[in-house]
Amino acid sequence: MKIFVCIKQVPDTETRIKIASDGNRLDLAGAKWIMCPYDEFAVEEAIRFKEKNSDATVTVISAGPERVKEALRTALAMGCDNALQVALPENADSFMTAKALAKSIAAEGEAHIVFTGKQAIDDDAAQVTQAMAEFLDMPAVSVVLRAEYGANQIQAEREIEGGSIEKYEAPMPCVIAAQKGMNEPRYASLPNIMKAKKKVIKLVSLADIGVTADEIKISYSGFTLPPERAGCKMLEGDVPTQSKELVRLLREEAKVI
Amino acid sequence: MYLTIKPFLVLLCMAGAFSYFFYKTKALIDLMRAAPGGVIIDRIPERTFMFLREVIWQSSVRRNKPIVGIAHTLIFWGFLVITVGTLEMMVEGIFHGLTISSLSPTVHGWYVFISDFAAIGVLGGVAFGFYRRLVIKPDYLTNGLDAKLILVFTATLMISLYGYNMFRIPLEPDAFINSYFILSTPLAAMFGLNGASSSLAFAGTEFFYWVHLSMVLGFLVYIPNSKHLHVLSAAPNIFFKRLGPEKAFEKTDFEDESLEQYGIANSTQLPWGMVLDLYACTECGRCEEQCPAAMTGKPLSPKKIIHDLKVDLLSHSKTIREKGDLGAIPGFVQNEGEISPDVIWSCTTCRACEVSCPVGIEQISPIIESRRNLVQMEAAFPAELQTVFKNLENNFTPWAFPADSRADWCQELGVKQMSEHRGAEVLYYVGCAGSFDDRAKKVATAIVKLLKMASIDFAILGKEEKCNGDPARRAGNEYLAQMLIQENVETLNKYQPKTILAACPHCFNTLRNEYPAFGAQYHVVHHSQFLRELVDSGQIPLNNKSDERITYHDSCYLGRWNGEYDAPRALLKSAGVKLDEVERRRTKGLCCGAGGARMFMEETIGKRVNIERTEELTAKKTKTVAANCPFCTTMITDGLKDANQQDDVVVKDIAEILLEATGKG
Repeated sequence: MKIFVCIKQVPDTETRIKIASDGNRLDLAGAKWIMCPYDEFAVEEAIRFKEKNSDATVTVISAGPERVKEALRTALAMGCDNALQVALPENADSFMTAKALAKSIAAEGEAHIVFTGKQAIDDDAAQVTQAMAEFLDMPAVSVVLRAEYGANQIQAEREIEGGSIEKYEAPMPCVIAAQKGMNEPRYASLPNIMKAKKKVIKLVSLADIGVTADEIKISYSGFTLPPERAGCKMLEGDVPTQSKELVRLLREEAKVI
Repeated sequence: MYLTIKPFLVLLCMAGAFSYFFYKTKALIDLMRAAPGGVIIDRIPERTFMFLREVIWQSSVRRNKPIVGIAHTLIFWGFLVITVGTLEMMVEGIFHGLTISSLSPTVHGWYVFISDFAAIGVLGGVAFGFYRRLVIKPDYLTNGLDAKLILVFTATLMISLYGYNMFRIPLEPDAFINSYFILSTPLAAMFGLNGASSSLAFAGTEFFYWVHLSMVLGFLVYIPNSKHLHVLSAAPNIFFKRLGPEKAFEKTDFEDESLEQYGIANSTQLPWGMVLDLYACTECGRCEEQCPAAMTGKPLSPKKIIHDLKVDLLSHSKTIREKGDLGAIPGFVQNEGEISPDVIWSCTTCRACEVSCPVGIEQISPIIESRRNLVQMEAAFPAELQTVFKNLENNFTPWAFPADSRADWCQELGVKQMSEHRGAEVLYYVGCAGSFDDRAKKVATAIVKLLKMASIDFAILGKEEKCNGDPARRAGNEYLAQMLIQENVETLNKYQPKTILAACPHCFNTLRNEYPAFGAQYHVVHHSQFLRELVDSGQIPLNNKSDERITYHDSCYLGRWNGEYDAPRALLKSAGVKLDEVERRRTKGLCCGAGGARMFMEETIGKRVNIERTEELTAKKTKTVAANCPFCTTMITDGLKDANQQDDVVVKDIAEILLEATGKG
């Protein structure tokens, strides 16, 4: 039973965003790269599935440049069996990534479940899961908080706006995209970190799967940083004075009332 | 007839008791020899001196507890003296008439003179022991049958000695040594034995001879299986103990690919030094009395964990000695066991236990080793730590701040960075608190102002600085700690600073005591020491001294871990401040609750340590509490908020108080 987890390596959440001198991309030279936190839930879910199903093997896949190996090793240390890097250029967009992931998975054999995170925290596009499922011709349930795995189908609960839960049933094979809260991702033990360092990461080139740079559908231009937030203003005096001042400011300075 | 059999009887009893004693002690020694770790005996003269001071002179038992200590000293010295006589009695029992007098009557005379006093000293000590165990009953003292039994043993041993002596006087009225029995002679007179018939005198002597001998042999049989094993193990444990307050945790060699176990999981992995520690404990409870966890209702007591480890170790003694199925020996930390994970995670590594232990036991070492096992082998630790570990991995600080912003706090202060000012005299190692925590940033700012006032040529590492490794190391994540340490070591070695100034005792301690093992040996000073020098040399003029009364809080890592109690006090005094000292200060200073990575864990069991400490500090009713550590400052400030006293009392770092005294704050 082949289980796949797709992960993305993203800059750490605390990274300071800088725009490259050409203005058309971000300068991430000094960034610390981590596994996308949503993908950690996906990896954890895959490993838990494996722990309950002894015939399952988990393959973790990441599409990107050389650096993504670091994220793959983190997933291996958590408990994935195999890792696969699809050599994608830095400027690959969601479409190309989805296609490359789908083709790599298809090349590995028949997938049982493909886990992903609901979105990546860098561009927050939330495109790859659904597009990849389409290329794989599988159903996909995203923003999943809880899933029960039957023999041939999956029952998944997904979170929708307002805190409500939608329940879905999907036939296997299918794609499940994890939401925060699906589980508590584990911290890798040291022996597993050491073992993960020695594992071979399989490299898949674009030629291997027949994907070309033509698949890039989006190009970026003219990045600007959002305007800096103005400091807050503390109002003095008792409550009636403060209230009057607040209304005056909202009307005269902010011009919102 | 009796005198013909007696030698054989004595020999038989002795052979039995001594064989059992040697059999038991050999098993204990074999168990210790089976433990991992090599023996390095260094600094012999210093060790000998310490041995004489702490064992022979008994200074460590009198430290902090003079009355108990005097009682113990009397018993110890008394036993040393009386044991000679006991050996004499054994020899004499076998070879009738062979006594010290056979060698030199004068020596014998002086010996019984001293031993008469020694025995009354022991009885005095034992009497106090009874009083303490039956009347005072301190909470920290393990007050079982074991302890009372040994007191009865000891008292009987002494009383039988007097009995023996008293009957010997009428038995041999003309013996040379009789005039030396300074106490036994009047006692004999008191009991009307002076005119006793020779048959009564003989019967009395033999009766007390056998009582005394059976007590001694009983001791031999009893000791190896009881907590009184310390009679044998305390002295070697003190000889091998750490010299000086500085301590660095064992460094794991991650390059060693044959390593399969990180940290200590079960008793087979305890190194011999820790095994000897377990043997040496007599459950006096001085550690428990000082332990912030034990006094606030946590499941940890340093005394109990040492005892529980000993029980666990001895229960596997045979398997370990005979190299049986070692793999089947379970871990000593068990969810429902005596040593639960909560026990292991309650420790603040404040070292009050180790400093108060009269026999040099290091209670924290097995706790840290156990954390290393839990974190690295089992990834089992309080959930809060996962975020801390991730932050340390990604941002090199326990808090979630971008590594890029480490030097933001001093943007407007014009502080140079090492990368642009390589030759700086002093490297100011700011630390994560000073760099990111709003309260500690103010302290860092005060230090910068003071350094500039004194025209010190200094620089910081800025973005190149990373957490020193203390929280990760004490949380048991040695692997992560070493990643941070190694990166810092590389940076430090690139700049080779003459002096490293640290404003956080945790940075100070790690850089000073733990970095040398990683190849970075530098002159590291805490800001209290550095600023004191600047004040003493007149480089910081104090024109605005205050005469405010201030309560001072000792931090564990400046105090117990590095023995520095005076510099911060001297500094405060030079600022004009009147110190109002609390009871728990200096070596007995109570932890704020944040050490040992507890800063980053929830405290849900029992009373919060910071509240216990804050209550003590605020009882002095001063408006200011002085601290020297950013963690302490945070914890005590939180304690004040909890008691709704944040508007009445303020916690200040000594650097801030000094800056105020310059009048240029």
